[in-house]
Amino acid sequence: MIIESSLLLKEISVFPELFLGMSLIYLTLHCSFLTVKQSYPLIYRSIVYLGFLVLILSLCLLLNDKLEVQGTGSFYNTIVTDYTGFLSKTIISILAGVCLLAVEPYLKTQKINNFEYVLLFLFSVLGLFLLCSANDLITTYLAIELQSLSFYVLASFKRQSTFSVNSGVKYFILGSFASCLFLLGSSLLYGISGTVNFDEFKDLYCFQQSCSEVVSSEFSDLDFFVDFLYCKQIIESSKFDLLHVFLNSPEVFNNLSGLPEIRQETFAIDIACFLNSVNSLFYDVLLNLILTFKGSDLGNSVFEMYSSNPCTTSKLMFLFSLHEVSSFYSENTFFPDNVSLVSLTNISLILILISFFFKLAVAPFHAWAPDVYEGSPSSSTFFFSVVPKLAIFIVMLRIYYFSFYSLIDSWRYLVCACVVLTILTGSFGGLTQKKIKSLLVYSSISHMGYSLIAFSSGTFESLQVLFNYLIIYSFSGLCVWAIFISTQLKSNFLQKSNKDLTDLVSLSKSNTMLAALFTAVLFSIAGFPPMVGFLVKINVFLSAIDSSMFFVALFSILCSVVATFYYIRIIKVLFFEKTVAGKLYHPISSFNALLITTIFSFILFLFLNPTLLFLLSHKFGLLFSTDIF
Amino acid sequence: MILSALLVIVVKNAVYSVLFLILSFISASFILFLLECEFVALLFITIYVGAIAVLFLFVVMMLDIKTSQFNKDSFKYFPFASLLGAVFLFEVSFTLSNSFKSNVYINSSFENFYVNWYDKIDSFTEIVSVGQVMYTQYVFQFLVAGNILLLATIAAVVLTVNPNKTSNKNQIIYKQLSRNYKNVLVLSS
Repeated sequence: MIIESSLLLKEISVFPELFLGMSLIYLTLHCSFLTVKQSYPLIYRSIVYLGFLVLILSLCLLLNDKLEVQGTGSFYNTIVTDYTGFLSKTIISILAGVCLLAVEPYLKTQKINNFEYVLLFLFSVLGLFLLCSANDLITTYLAIELQSLSFYVLASFKRQSTFSVNSGVKYFILGSFASCLFLLGSSLLYGISGTVNFDEFKDLYCFQQSCSEVVSSEFSDLDFFVDFLYCKQIIESSKFDLLHVFLNSPEVFNNLSGLPEIRQETFAIDIACFLNSVNSLFYDVLLNLILTFKGSDLGNSVFEMYSSNPCTTSKLMFLFSLHEVSSFYSENTFFPDNVSLVSLTNISLILILISFFFKLAVAPFHAWAPDVYEGSPSSSTFFFSVVPKLAIFIVMLRIYYFSFYSLIDSWRYLVCACVVLTILTGSFGGLTQKKIKSLLVYSSISHMGYSLIAFSSGTFESLQVLFNYLIIYSFSGLCVWAIFISTQLKSNFLQKSNKDLTDLVSLSKSNTMLAALFTAVLFSIAGFPPMVGFLVKINVFLSAIDSSMFFVALFSILCSVVATFYYIRIIKVLFFEKTVAGKLYHPISSFNALLITTIFSFILFLFLNPTLLFLLSHKFGLLFSTDIF
Repeated sequence: MILSALLVIVVKNAVYSVLFLILSFISASFILFLLECEFVALLFITIYVGAIAVLFLFVVMMLDIKTSQFNKDSFKYFPFASLLGAVFLFEVSFTLSNSFKSNVYINSSFENFYVNWYDKIDSFTEIVSVGQVMYTQYVFQFLVAGNILLLATIAAVVLTVNPNKTSNKNQIIYKQLSRNYKNVLVLSS
């Protein structure tokens, strides 16, 4: 049934992925027939354009998808189609397309003529697409493998160079180690819960104990709580479920007994009035309330208040009888209360988190990144550092926010520790680097740290901030790398590409506009006030302060000051270096210049009018949070 | 199976011992077949025989280990090895005796037969049910796995085939056939 519907393209939810996969197979056939016929003609240019065309077409398919606002599952709920996936897939396809075009002159000078290069590009884009819409652990694993396998080959594509092969092998070993950790974690999860689906995880772990702790800390002040109750907006508010959990937790009523009696009465009546206004949702809470004050006048008065309504009375009586039964069985420990299983779940979640940290090159697991990024061909490094981060963050959000939000306390401190380490290495490691490429790698490591701050703070606003930050990070990274890759030094060694910092000396003399653009983007990345990078960065820090992670915020702000040094050093080399003879560059092609200016104008536009970005990310965060809260 | 497992150790030629290893794998999978776990049995053959044992075989053939005399040392480790073997035997028999119970009603003629009602139902075999799930519920994942395989093939081709090289390594059959094994090794004394 489902095969038929997917063959007849009825299952429209994965249409872009389906198209991408099929066109990949066609491209493989086309290229291999073309190359076998004659003696290896150079078709890299045409295949680059074909790959770009495929990306554009799948972008069109994405945009034409009739998207419902809430996510819908397909293929037995293993694939989810929602706004989050749609937006991230759109951005990824744009990034990959621009990346492909920007890389083309580099491929020419480096003589990477094999058509497979573009195929591997497209394979990894397919993997990233799948990663954005995966809704269970199996699909996630397959998508990660598809994406990272093609990355390993992209890293070791220049077989003649020892560095490239070295970095490819390094990437392969560490990447497969990370995959092993992911598999171990997910098999533990399957063993505990008997499912791999994110939706079912969410249902299973919805009301976990740590969740009630979070809520009780949030509502610890009773006065505040009573005020909160009187705000009728709570009915629309996202914290509705959390309130439910809070009212059900036994600590509330235990705390109540410590209060003076008059306060107790007012509080109980407040809750009762509130419950009456909400009607019909909170019967179990009401039952708790009545049982706590059973025998006292208060309990009777609350009960009378409800018994005036015949509809509620019958339901209350039913609940009372239910209570008798459930108190009988309450000695049995059911699944969510079983402490050892929950701690095992935490361990497996942390294992999966570590594997994602490997992929993102977050600090204790970052050691591969500088070697691999520096050794592999610049075009591949461009792709690694710009495109995949967003998709990995999306799937992390799906697992850690969508399914396991109730266990946030268990992994959040680990993430905080990693954030501090990452920002430390990213800022101080970059100081001594002499190559632009490794400098950019350290910059990307510290950026991952900043986005993990937003990830770990666990509020609704932080999701928006995270999305903002990732978009700006990827686009400014795109701009920097496009400039880096298209400046070609005039030297005897045409294939020497790993540029030193000193190679950029007096670029401002030979190509003033390019140097100016480079400076502006570097300012944006460093987070100087008149650029969009500043806006998103300060939002990250504010979100950290919002969830009272003061130390992390302070520390990362200080480190970001340190990190500014190496960005400014590039600018100093660009403009203010006094040398006898500057370096000469090949003029960059007009097409590449067009590309760079387009991306730059996009960043500039986002600074002048960031509303577009904020609206998009608001919608993103909103839709995501309706699922969570 | 036990015979072939024993022969793996005893046989002096390494290639033969790998072949006996394959034989023991196959007989182990026959046991699984008898227990009606077809899928696991086939997996066993595919992975152990198809991949791992052949890999061993290649390694052994390439390393060209001489058949050495090791009769002298074989009894040196005998006490330690027999101790280990006894411990493992004890463990296995302990778990077996714990997890299986003998039929209490074995002597009563009235109850003395056991019907596996599950067999009486006209049920799927294991492979059929695995296939059913894989081709319906996980059809998308199956396609993605196929894509991964295609990617792996392309990657292997990219990383090994060198189109720039003018002289490809071709197999020249007559040259290969006309080689004489006597002249292969040049002994230097």
